Formats: sequence, structure tokens, C-alpha cells
Amino acid sequence: MQRQEAAVSTGEVLVAMRNLDKYYGGLRALAEVTLEIRKGEILALVGDNGAGKSTLIKTLSGAVEPDGGEILVDGRPVSFKTPKDATDAGIETVHQTLGLVDTLDVPQNVFLGRELTKKVFGLFPQLDQAAMRRRTHELLQRFAISLPTLNEPVHSLSGGQRQTIAISRLLLVEPKLLIMDEPMAALGVDEGSKVLDLVVKLRDEGLTILIISHNLEHVFAIADRIAVMKNGRLVAVVPSAATTREAVVGMITMGASGVRTEDRQWLS
Amino acid sequence: MAVVSEAQAPKSIGASDRRFRLEGLGLTLVLVVLILFFTWVNPRFGTLANLANVLTQTSTYVIVAMGMTFVIAKAGIDLSVGSMLALSTCVFFGLIEAGWPWPIALPLMFLLAMALGAFNGLIIAFLAIPALIATLGTMVAFRGIALLHSAGKLYYGLPPAIVWLGQGKVLGVPVPIIVAALFVAFSWWLFNKTTFGVHVRAVGGNREAARLAGINVARVEVLVYTLMGFAVALGGLLWIARIDGTQATLGTAMEIHVIAATIIGGTSLFGGRGTIYGTLLGAILLSMLNNALVIAGVEFFWQLVAIGCIVIAAVTINNIRENRIGWISRIRHRRAPAK
Repeated sequence: MQRQEAAVSTGEVLVAMRNLDKYYGGLRALAEVTLEIRKGEILALVGDNGAGKSTLIKTLSGAVEPDGGEILVDGRPVSFKTPKDATDAGIETVHQTLGLVDTLDVPQNVFLGRELTKKVFGLFPQLDQAAMRRRTHELLQRFAISLPTLNEPVHSLSGGQRQTIAISRLLLVEPKLLIMDEPMAALGVDEGSKVLDLVVKLRDEGLTILIISHNLEHVFAIADRIAVMKNGRLVAVVPSAATTREAVVGMITMGASGVRTEDRQWLS
Repeated sequence: MAVVSEAQAPKSIGASDRRFRLEGLGLTLVLVVLILFFTWVNPRFGTLANLANVLTQTSTYVIVAMGMTFVIAKAGIDLSVGSMLALSTCVFFGLIEAGWPWPIALPLMFLLAMALGAFNGLIIAFLAIPALIATLGTMVAFRGIALLHSAGKLYYGLPPAIVWLGQGKVLGVPVPIIVAALFVAFSWWLFNKTTFGVHVRAVGGNREAARLAGINVARVEVLVYTLMGFAVALGGLLWIARIDGTQATLGTAMEIHVIAATIIGGTSLFGGRGTIYGTLLGAILLSMLNNALVIAGVEFFWQLVAIGCIVIAAVTINNIRENRIGWISRIRHRRAPAK
């Protein structure tokens, strides 16, 4: 897959994390992490298991409260106590578990919790199934997602299709930042590349995306910048066009000491 | 986890959607074949009078099974329906005997049954007691209260207006059939066409996903069991009106009939999926079977044996359909590797 240059990124900062700290007992899961996410970019977060990637995105999605530091969205400081606070601020997260109800069909899943209704006889609120189906169709069309069927239970769909439905769910509200936790992890090669295409398409539509992945091939295929973490610290944030896989692997495994001389400028 | 077949890329959105879904077709055919078979064996079965009689008798089960469909689709179960029915009808009769006018006693009976249902929902939602155990407990407790309240008494003698609900006819159609039909229509609408119906299935299908989607899971839980209570009151009303009497042992072993009807209809015992039409057919099927066995002179105890076997068979069929039985699904996949 050919890497595409960011079409929309203006360099404007959407989310800024400043000196984020998080302790789990004696373990320092986040150590003064300062990271900026720019509007319209795909920022990939990489690092070994236990490097602090999950903790970092949990602070952004409201699942975990940081012990220190601050988060700014559009320049305004925010405090996320619950996942709802984060979604209210325009930050949506696709979890690895996807959060789909297998026995419901596609529009029911997309609109779960925010169903459209109309009144029958001007009195009884009833689901507006036609409108939900139409809007689901529009949404899928806009992002060129193809699905063979909308009104079968989603357990009959493939892993990649389920992933796209989980993403479409979040696009309904036009989020500012979309966080994706290992979206390609459980997918086959073909399906994984389709999800990658979708992520790039979302970026080209103006969405800002923070993605966690273990697969550096995927990361280099889509990310505009790569943030490397180790032991709760941010090692470096490098534009993916200006570095190599070997260099990133070096930073993941050895931290700051693994950074090549030509990459020293990206050190945090 | 289910094996995902890596199918070729679909060409468009919703292209292979079925326009007309023939859910419950198989069961409908079974019902028709059974009616023809029973009539062939004994012509008395197929008479309009006997079929109307079967439907009248089954009206209570149909109504309570509607509530059970919501409960089971929510991945719950309610074993206390028979006890709730006995308790609320005994209290109703008690009020009537004490001289209360029925227009006041009747709403009180509905409120009581709904409160009993809500109590089930509350202890399941807020004390994290599995529905099976919670309602097993209230099944015994409610029955106990009914026995205490009535002290073994046999109630009879309802006001004519109430008796009409069980024994009257409108244009030749027995009133219980009309009431049951209306409640089935309402249940179908509520289950398939409202936000509440979708939320019930969402909580039953994936509780955590429902919670993350912002659905108030505890509220759905309590409402579902409250609806169950309402269905019990309505079904109980038709029953006591038809026989013009009640006692604290009324509705014993009712739960097995109602759960059987729901499961035969195709509602998944694991939650998330249910069908109102299927439950209706399931309830009618069971009553017909009973009726045919009675006409054939089979002892009542054999009916219990039959129902128990039918429940196990129905769940097995459902499990095969949902690929829940490892060794059977392996055999099926070997035969048809392309899904």
C-alpha cells in the first residue's frame, strides 16, 4: 500500500496533553507525557506491551483519570471523569471489543442508544426504521463501506465488516477525535487493509485519528506521525516520512538511547 | 468465537437484504399439519367449537408468554409467574369479598402484580442476583404469601361484569380470545417497533455494549419485569373470570408452560433475540397438544412428561441453529465447508 500524504492537516493542535502522570500503586504508568494531536492527522501510538499506550488513550477517552497534568481540547482545559465526558467533548473511541450487539441488525447497532423515532397517531413514539436505514446507508456510502446486508444480525458479518460498523456508529455524531485501539488486530490481511483504507478515508474527510497498533507495516502505511512510548514515557514523535522502521523499532526496544543521530531532533 | 468466513468483497450496501422475511413459517406449517392430523385421528378436534375452546383456554398462557418473551429476550427468566398470578388474584378476590367495588379492586390487582414484577426486577438489577435464583426465591415466597392470605380458602362469586370477560362473547368470538389478540398486537408493536423493544434485545444480546451505548440497563431490567407483572395480572384476570374462582394454588407449574411456549416459538434462551409471533404459535401449539391428549384420553401426568420433553427438544433445536453445540457444529462444518 502506498502512503498518502496528509491532505487536510493544518498543523493546528486539536488535543494537547501536558505532563500527564498516572500511577497504579507503585507503578508509574504515565510519566510526564506531553503530546499534541494535530487537526486532520493520523497519529500512531506505538510501543511494547506495558509501555503506557493503553493508559494514555484511557485518559483521553475518560476511562481513567490522570493523577497529574492536563488535557486541552481546542485550547480549553478539560477534565474527563467518565467516558461520557469525553464523548461530549467530541472524543470517540473504538474499543477492541467493538461494543456491538450481535443479535441486532446494522441500523439498530449504528443507532443504539440514540434511536430515531416518530409519533404514530401523533401520540405513541415508534422507531423510524426507514429513516435509520436510510441514514445508515448514507453513512456507509459516504465512507465507501460496502455491506451485503443491513437487516441481518451483525454476528453473520465478517470481522472487518463488524469493525466498520463499530466505526460508523461513532461517525454518526461527527467526532473531533477518533481513537482506535488495535483495529486491525483480529483481522485477516485482506480485511485489515480494507480497514486501513477506511482510516485514511476518514482522515481525508477531515477527521483526526489516534491509532494504537503493534503492526509497524500498518503504521507506516497510514500514519502521518508516529509517537513512540516506553516505560510510561514518550520517547519521540516522528513524522513517518522522515524515519524508517528500523529506527522506530530501535526506539520501541531501547527508548531514547535507541534513537539515531538523525532522529535526535524528534526527542521529547 | 465464531469462525468468520473470508467471503469475497460485497458489491454494494444491503443488496442481498431479504425483502420479505418468513419468520415462523416452519412453526405455522407444524401447527397446520398438527390440526389436520388431530382432526384425522378424531374429527371432534377440528370443529370450530373445539378450536375456539382451545384458544379461550390458552388465552392466559398466550398473554403471560408475551411478557416472558420480553424477559427471555433480555436474557432473563421469570419462574414466579404462577405465584404472582395466585397472589394477585387471591388479593383481588379478597377485596371483592370485603365489599370493595370492582372498578377499584381491579386496578389494585394490576398495581400489585406490577409491583411484584418490579420487585423481581429490582433485586435482579441492584442485588446482582441471577434471574433464575431471584425468581425461584420469589416463586416460593409469593406462593407462601398467597397461601397465608387465603388460608386455604376457595374463592368464588365474581361480579357479572368481570365474569363476562372470561365467559362472554362479542359477535360470537369469546372475549378472552379478543383480549389476548389485542395484547399480542400491542406486544408485537412494543417488541419490534419501539426504542424499548430494541433496548430489551440490546441488553439481552450484549449488556456491556448496551451500557456503553448509554442505555440505562437497570431501568430496562426493572421495566421488563414490571411488564411481566402486568401480563400476569391480565392473564390471571381472564383465567379467574372464566372459572369464576381462584385459590392460592392457581397457576402452579405455569412457568414451565409459559417458558416452553416462548422457547418453542424461537426466542433465544441466551437473550438478544425473540419473536412475538413465534411465542403465540408456541403457546397455541402446546394447548392443542394438551387438548388432543385429553380428547385421546391420555392421563394428565403424561402431559407433564410431554411438556418437559418438548422444552428440552426445543432448546436443543435452538442450540443447533445457533451453533452452540461443539460436536454438532463441527459435523455441520465438515459437510458444508463454504458456510
